[in-house]
Amino acid sequence: MKFSDETLLAYLEGSLDEAQARVIEDAVAEDPTLESHLMALDPYAPVVKQVFEAVPAETPSIDLPVTAAPQSNAGPLRLLAVAASVAVIAVSATFWVTRPKALGWAEQAAIYQSLYSSETIASLDNSPQELDAQFAQAEALLGRSLSRDLLENLPGLDLKRAQVLSFKGKPLVQVVFADARGNPFAFCVIRQGPNAPAKDLNLAVLSGLATATWARDGYGYMLLGGDGQTDLSGELSVLTEAFSG
Amino acid sequence: MSTEQAVRGAIQTHSKRVWRFGLALSGASDVADDLLQATALRALEKHHQVTSYERLDSWLMTICRSIWLNEIRSRSVRKAQALSVTPEAELVAHGPDSETNIFAAQVFTQVMQLPEAQRETVMLVFVEGYSYREAAAMLDVPIGTIMSRLSNARQKLKTVMQHGGTDTVRRSGK
Repeated sequence: MKFSDETLLAYLEGSLDEAQARVIEDAVAEDPTLESHLMALDPYAPVVKQVFEAVPAETPSIDLPVTAAPQSNAGPLRLLAVAASVAVIAVSATFWVTRPKALGWAEQAAIYQSLYSSETIASLDNSPQELDAQFAQAEALLGRSLSRDLLENLPGLDLKRAQVLSFKGKPLVQVVFADARGNPFAFCVIRQGPNAPAKDLNLAVLSGLATATWARDGYGYMLLGGDGQTDLSGELSVLTEAFSG
Repeated sequence: MSTEQAVRGAIQTHSKRVWRFGLALSGASDVADDLLQATALRALEKHHQVTSYERLDSWLMTICRSIWLNEIRSRSVRKAQALSVTPEAELVAHGPDSETNIFAAQVFTQVMQLPEAQRETVMLVFVEGYSYREAAAMLDVPIGTIMSRLSNARQKLKTVMQHGGTDTVRRSGK
């Protein structure tokens, strides 16, 4: 319902009868726009407001505690603590995601092997006596045969050395070969323990070297080529059969 | 900004309004002092209940009124609906000339002599600028009750207002 300003002013002056006033009040209750308009027309409001706005003349003083009640103070501090712990978690999570993954024995062996050059193996003494001693020591530590005869007869590879290494306290034997061009080639065996899971053959390029890994009966095996493109299939067909358990 | 900081800021910002409302409720400036102080402390205790920083002024007004109704008025001798004595009209005597001061004092006295329900409604709507429905929410009454209280208050203010209005016209015509 529309009301003229004259009607609304009459309401504000109290000139309307009770029924007419009730109609306006009901309409205002339903219509915030009418409410605002009626309030703006009210001649009493600005006068009363002007009088009371001067009271009090001075800003009253309030005695507020410097620090509020304990639970009041705990809020920001607790939030700070939460924020700090969240930050720590976030940093930890970031570190966890971005930190270097703990290297397995195969990765470590590949890094080590990648440092080999043709010169490294050219000067190695691979006399039968030397190899006898090396294989005896290696097989003793591994607790199994390395099938030296088989390794010595791998096509295209010249057996150079059996070297005992260690990875996290586990004996790791690196058997080094020179391929037809004198580049290093390696076959590694690690004793992982009776509870180590068996793993099927996995081909990967690690530290720039073509590699093949597998695991059987508590031992891990790794073949490493001279570079990332080395075809390992010929050696693997022999080795996976010989070292299958 | 924490809710405690927001409440502390609101207390400082609205201290005059809360004191004024306390004066309108109690009719005495010393009680208004106490009401403002108690309101500030209560608001700080309750700061964690604040979910919006937008209407902290009306929140403070509601706390002030609650303290008045529940803790101070019941212990006060001023239980009459209308204040029995004219409360400190010199509070408003700050105008540039005596005629204005007299008019202001008359309006002030007339408002303070309204029944308490009309008085607090006039303060919230006319002085503090809350809408009818905002005042209805703060005082927990229907909007129609707010409007009818204001109508009754206008009738009582009419005499002094018309007198003051005539004075103003006469002075302007000088």
